[in-house]
Amino acid sequence: MTYPLTRRTGLALAFALVAGTVLPAHADTLADVKAAGVLKVGIFEDFPPFASLNAAMKIEGYDTEVADKLATALGVKVELVGITGQNRIPFLTEGKVDLLLSIGYSDERAQVVDYTDAYAPYYIAVMGPKDIDVKDAAGLSGKSIAVNRGTLEDTEVTKVAPADADIQRFSDYSGVISAFLSGQVQLMVVGNDVGATILAQNPAIEPVEKFLLLTSPSQMAVKKGEAPLQKAINDALIAMKASGELNDLAVKWLKQPLVAGF
Amino acid sequence: MTLSLADIIPFLLLAARWTLLLSAIAFIGGASGALLLLLWRYGAPRTGRRATAIYIQLLQGTPLLLQLFLVFFGLPLLGVEVSPLAAASIALTLYASAFLAEIWRGCVDAIPLGQWDASASLGMNFVTQMRYIILPQSLKIAIPPTVGFLVQLLKSTALASIVGFNELTRSGQIVANATFKPFLIYALVALIYFAMCYPLTLGSRALERRMRITR
Repeated sequence: MTYPLTRRTGLALAFALVAGTVLPAHADTLADVKAAGVLKVGIFEDFPPFASLNAAMKIEGYDTEVADKLATALGVKVELVGITGQNRIPFLTEGKVDLLLSIGYSDERAQVVDYTDAYAPYYIAVMGPKDIDVKDAAGLSGKSIAVNRGTLEDTEVTKVAPADADIQRFSDYSGVISAFLSGQVQLMVVGNDVGATILAQNPAIEPVEKFLLLTSPSQMAVKKGEAPLQKAINDALIAMKASGELNDLAVKWLKQPLVAGF
Repeated sequence: MTLSLADIIPFLLLAARWTLLLSAIAFIGGASGALLLLLWRYGAPRTGRRATAIYIQLLQGTPLLLQLFLVFFGLPLLGVEVSPLAAASIALTLYASAFLAEIWRGCVDAIPLGQWDASASLGMNFVTQMRYIILPQSLKIAIPPTVGFLVQLLKSTALASIVGFNELTRSGQIVANATFKPFLIYALVALIYFAMCYPLTLGSRALERRMRITR
């Protein structure tokens, strides 16, 4: 016996798909979070000093502590969800996480997610060993550069690099840093804080900052249209900035106090 | 802060548990699915031949990575919530069932038609023919390619990290970026994969040897 796809079943299927995509948008994530008692926060797990494995084999860093404090402010528990540059936007839009940390602003992203206030300084720099002479974007000509696919680093370096620069895209920060440390690529594009953390581990190839590509404070993102959650997070951030808690975390993890404007 | 090998190795071994679990689910689920497809194909050739061929072509012709994405992000669109483990299990099961069905089809086709005719002439029905004549003979041919695929499947579980599943490879990446010693960490990860795959190959050889004796 066969079941041909008639026009009626086709329509029903289409309707189910449309209903499925449209209905959850009306749900209030803040209410859902409070009801469940859990805030699901998406963080990179291989992104020192924002989050990486500590000596106790737990994921720890600036982002994990900020997430803890936010959840406390909302009166719920935190659940950390590991994400990568490629999958994090779908994770947010499909409700696998309620909130993304460590996300820089771009117009393209702003069309699919809503941003909160900035919560961390983030400078994106081109780094390389001492003996390679690169001073600006034009100097990238003919060089191989590692970058994390789908991040602001990727968009920015793709925009400014000359056509003959060999940009190699990796699926996570681990890939970028491994490629650089093993000598597969000459340069890498990472946050300068990431570079400082690598230096502290005394690697064979010591990364030096070549030039600053972009200053883009890290923000958080919620699903498009989730105004109540966005406001609740912003209120919590304002309180954390006012009480000096956020500054303490910045000194602890980023080794520098927050600059004015935060 | 430094991570010692005494911390790293247990961490990786714990992650390897997930790789093993995922492989076991995918193999058991995939083998059951493949057996059903096989019975459908030969038991009801009129519908089965076409339908199983389409199923196999679809799953063999699309990347496993996309199948994982479709299950993990597609099912919630239809209102079904799936955890990373469930999504990875479903996708790997579908993938394995298609490949095993195709591998086993070759093994069944390798049995001479005379065996079918002879068993039918003895009055055996389809299920009895399969159970006592065709499958036992196909089994011998099927072991090497099946184990080969199983080894491949075990390594494919690394792709499950894309849906947020921290199996062995992903855990290795996380450790590599905490220690900044990629060569050491990835060598360890490779060793653990080898330690899981090599016994499968050994077992397969032993099984083949035993079956040859009973011939």
